[in-house]
Amino acid sequence: MFEYLAKRLLYAVPICITVSALCFSLVYLAPGDPLSAVLPADASQEIIDDVKAQYGLDKPVYVQYALWLGRAVTGDLGTSIGSGRPVAEEIGQAIVNSLILAAFASVVGFTIGSALGMIAGYHSGSTTDKMVSAIAISGVSVPHYWLGIVLVVIFSVKLNWLPAMGAGAGGSQAWQWDWEHMRFMILPAITLAAIPTGIITRSVRALVADTLSKEFVTALRAKGLTERTIFVHVVKNSAPTALSVVGVQLGYLMAGSILVETVFSWPGTGLLLNTAIFQRDIPLLQGTILVLALFFVGLNLLVDALQPLLDPRISRS
Amino acid sequence: MTNQLFRHRRVRRFGVRAALMVFALGVLGATPVDAGGTLRVAMSASDVPLPNGQTDQGAEGMRFMGYSLFEALVGYDLSSRDKPVTLIPGLATGWSVDADDRTRWTFKLRSGVKFHDGSLFTAAAVVWNLDKILNKDAAQYDTKQAGQGRGRVPTIASYKAIDDSTVEIVTTKPDALFPYQIAWIVMSSPAQWEKSGKSWDNFIKNPSGTGPWKLSTYTPRERAELVPNNAYWDANRIPKLDKMVLLPVPDPSARVAALRSGQVDWIEAPPPDALPSLKDAGFVISSNVYPHVWPWHFSRVEGSPWNDIRVRKAANLAIDRAGMKSLLGGLMLEAQGQVPPSSDWFGNPTFKVRYDVAEAKRLMKEAGYSKDNPLQVKAIISPAGSGQMQPMVMNELIQQNLAEIGIKVDFDVRDWNALLANWRAGAKDATTEGAHSTNSSYFSQDPFTALMRHLDSRLIAPKGTNWGYYQDPELDKLVDGIRGEFDPAKQVKVIQKLHERYVDNALFLFVAHDVGPRAMSPKVKGFVQAQNWFQDLTPVSIEGE
Amino acid sequence: MIVMTDERHGPVVEVPPAAASHGYWRGVFSRLAKDKTAIGCTVILTAIVLAAVFAPLIAPSDPSVGSVLKRLKPVGEPGFLLGSDELGRDMLTRLLYGGRMSLITGIVPVALALIIGGGLGTLAGYMGGWINSIVMRTTDVIFAFPSVLMAVAISGALGAGLENMLLALTIVLIPPIVRISESVTTQVRSLDFVEAARASGAGSLTIIRAHVLGNILGPIFVYSTSLLSVSIILASGLSFIGLGAKPPTPEWGLMLNALRTAIYSQPIIAALPGVMIFIVSLSFNLLSDSLRSAMDVQR
Repeated sequence: MFEYLAKRLLYAVPICITVSALCFSLVYLAPGDPLSAVLPADASQEIIDDVKAQYGLDKPVYVQYALWLGRAVTGDLGTSIGSGRPVAEEIGQAIVNSLILAAFASVVGFTIGSALGMIAGYHSGSTTDKMVSAIAISGVSVPHYWLGIVLVVIFSVKLNWLPAMGAGAGGSQAWQWDWEHMRFMILPAITLAAIPTGIITRSVRALVADTLSKEFVTALRAKGLTERTIFVHVVKNSAPTALSVVGVQLGYLMAGSILVETVFSWPGTGLLLNTAIFQRDIPLLQGTILVLALFFVGLNLLVDALQPLLDPRISRS
Repeated sequence: MTNQLFRHRRVRRFGVRAALMVFALGVLGATPVDAGGTLRVAMSASDVPLPNGQTDQGAEGMRFMGYSLFEALVGYDLSSRDKPVTLIPGLATGWSVDADDRTRWTFKLRSGVKFHDGSLFTAAAVVWNLDKILNKDAAQYDTKQAGQGRGRVPTIASYKAIDDSTVEIVTTKPDALFPYQIAWIVMSSPAQWEKSGKSWDNFIKNPSGTGPWKLSTYTPRERAELVPNNAYWDANRIPKLDKMVLLPVPDPSARVAALRSGQVDWIEAPPPDALPSLKDAGFVISSNVYPHVWPWHFSRVEGSPWNDIRVRKAANLAIDRAGMKSLLGGLMLEAQGQVPPSSDWFGNPTFKVRYDVAEAKRLMKEAGYSKDNPLQVKAIISPAGSGQMQPMVMNELIQQNLAEIGIKVDFDVRDWNALLANWRAGAKDATTEGAHSTNSSYFSQDPFTALMRHLDSRLIAPKGTNWGYYQDPELDKLVDGIRGEFDPAKQVKVIQKLHERYVDNALFLFVAHDVGPRAMSPKVKGFVQAQNWFQDLTPVSIEGE
Repeated sequence: MIVMTDERHGPVVEVPPAAASHGYWRGVFSRLAKDKTAIGCTVILTAIVLAAVFAPLIAPSDPSVGSVLKRLKPVGEPGFLLGSDELGRDMLTRLLYGGRMSLITGIVPVALALIIGGGLGTLAGYMGGWINSIVMRTTDVIFAFPSVLMAVAISGALGAGLENMLLALTIVLIPPIVRISESVTTQVRSLDFVEAARASGAGSLTIIRAHVLGNILGPIFVYSTSLLSVSIILASGLSFIGLGAKPPTPEWGLMLNALRTAIYSQPIIAALPGVMIFIVSLSFNLLSDSLRSAMDVQR
């Protein structure tokens, strides 16, 4: 067990290093002056050079990478060109907000997805199964940012039931897990949950149908075991896979929330990324992508580590 | 010892405040004052402007944060809807230029003005603040504020305090427009900076200026809350609101949804297509003309199709500006030049900018082009941007209009900041990639930003914003004439001549002037939209709270 | 957002029995012919493909010409069967032409990724050893980025534009295809008849051509079809935030964004591009599902 984990961890090291190099080089693909965002339109060359030197943008690229990596390891991701604040601080706040939203969306996706998948799996081949499958496939086919816009028009503008944007009337700093604040994340979370709900429904349905068709279930039934006991078997068999799908979906939700967070002005990493791209804020862009990619790698690692614990059938080679 | 002093001072201040409160309560008891309330504003900026002094987030940052918390020596009279905005005394009660040496300016400072932290505003503070952006050796020098502010005052040569309430500033050459420039430079509190451990990063958490508003909370990227500065020196401009919340909401549709769902009371730049439904739902649309222009800036480098005056005039005659106005829900002014016809600077140009397709086609034919044999041009545009109005639809309409007379436009769509970077770099820069025009719009408060900097041959990019490499010695002379003319009435005459030259030679594609649209809840009372990019929010109140 | 795969390890596919035989393909087609969903989706997609290909012939007007005086006309207005957009251009025309872009952004990156990823994966799976290590470890790194993040990062760095977007999507789609090709090829390689051919001294290329390809193309192809909808949704999303197609190109994601502010005055028109994206992406997903079950590819 320990050896397995150590191997996985070791394996993640080169991935992390390459990921960091990719993050760093990505932003140099582009033409354009990253400083234009912070300076007034008619700033003189002298001022531009000054500011450039201050951000270290006047050094050769490889020197910049070495310096950047050295600092990144110690948690210093540089200073945002746009806001002038430390990138780590910016991401630290945003990632908490994104995590709150992504976690809630995962719970929504897991609950609805499992329930629907269970129902469809139990009634494999029936009309119910077909309807559930239709819902699930719609979930993965819908452009979710568009779904978000439609939800805002209906529930915020027309019905005035839920807020259209932001993370609470007092901003994310004043966030609390009460209704007054959670109302703000209902629409973005539902929008964000559309895809994972579809995926989880499909996975759970397949697992349940598969388990129920297995010989041992038939045998159990023949032995006269109650449906309840069989249900427990089914859950035991499908839970590990369903949970690992959720785990990885959480990572996708964090990274993929750029569109949804933009539509709902949710102050998370997606919105930060959008801002960084359009302001050509290189340190912020590098930092956000790096942190999100590393978060994803870490989450995968965690899921890998936890899965054998939940499901003894998976070999640890 | 210091501690004791502090305590002593605090006690005294508390005493004064208590006395004031008693006084205020007495007044309140006698005459009921407008209920304040909380105003929540959705700005179009993508971040909360830095509350350091020279704010970021463009001129919108100065509108909501810069001129709320801080003030400059020279201010703007924003009290009226009906007359053009003029410069008025701010932290200086008056200024004058030496009759013999016209580079020597004297500013008399307002006495008794205090920063939010209670420290006194003095001539030393002015020098300290100029050092903040101009003197790299000063401890308080701030690259961020320098980046925003230094370009606004390019002609400052030296400055010093004459006495506690007098400052002298010397410019590199006579420049009658200097008061316009110094109006951009705001004063942060030196004492508060000292208290913040001499760090601007700490200062912004608890900033201090002399403005009518004080900052109470600041969450980067999310919100800022401003409360009235009840000790403000101009009692008429103490804010009526209890609180003003500033929210950055760059997405126009999100702003509309926020207003309609009651999350905010005021949105900047509502998208035109949402206007009818906003009006139907009872919201109020406010707008007013102000100095702003939305042109196409022509490249005049060798080989540019815009070097032919017939083509330039034809393009100017081909634009259906009335159609564009309806496209924008009426929220624009049809341009007939670089400044609106109502401006003092418009003059009396002989070329009338209008919609005349027949004449445009005739000019194009003369130049050798037609719908079947079109002239190909490439234009840089941006999908959005501060002051850019609705650039996509406007440019697509221009594309349609120009196609009609035989000019085929190919767009090069760039991010707003990338467009600005190229605007600074000039038409000969590699980033221009063969484009023949660019589309940067701007607030044009003074003759320099409106007219002088774009075509002065000595301000060819990257020295200035003469992007197109235009060169005309006659025009340069007019520019010098404006700078050297300190008599306002005579100066206006020279500015008019310059503007007539702009229009008669069709030096730009004159398209539109913005009218600064904003939409607000009917509960918002007392707002007077001045003819300016900047606005005074101190008279605003919220009804029923 | 690579849907319908094991998100973490990429697709897991088992080689169908005797996939290369003719009888197998006949069976696949007869199963498909009985599947109502598959037929329905094929009809819809064929119609959209034909409409896109012949857009210049059937579209009532020019997609880039309009009059602002006739902007945002409702559905059914004379001359505008599906109304007009924010610049008075005919919506029906723009939706037809927009189909071209959506199909291009759906099919081109998947096809490119299929060629590149399939090639690399087959190579890695067949050769094994250090070639396999290099290819697979590189894939791991790219796979370490969630697809949306990767696409946004590449497009964001390169700037807006169709070519950049296609490039970004292709890069994002390559790793999962490499993984499936590698795993399928590895399975086939160890099959008895391939081992036998090898033992008889046949050259690598001959073996790949004669024995391996026939058995692996099916599963890889089926898997790739499930990426079509992913690609379309990603592309429209990139265009929506301004990183994809540039105006005045009729592209559904871009149209959706341009019409967003009209959602209060003309909700149906504003919703149309979204509906189109949904229909096409749904059809591709359903067809891919049908194809999978018809070809009996186990996941």
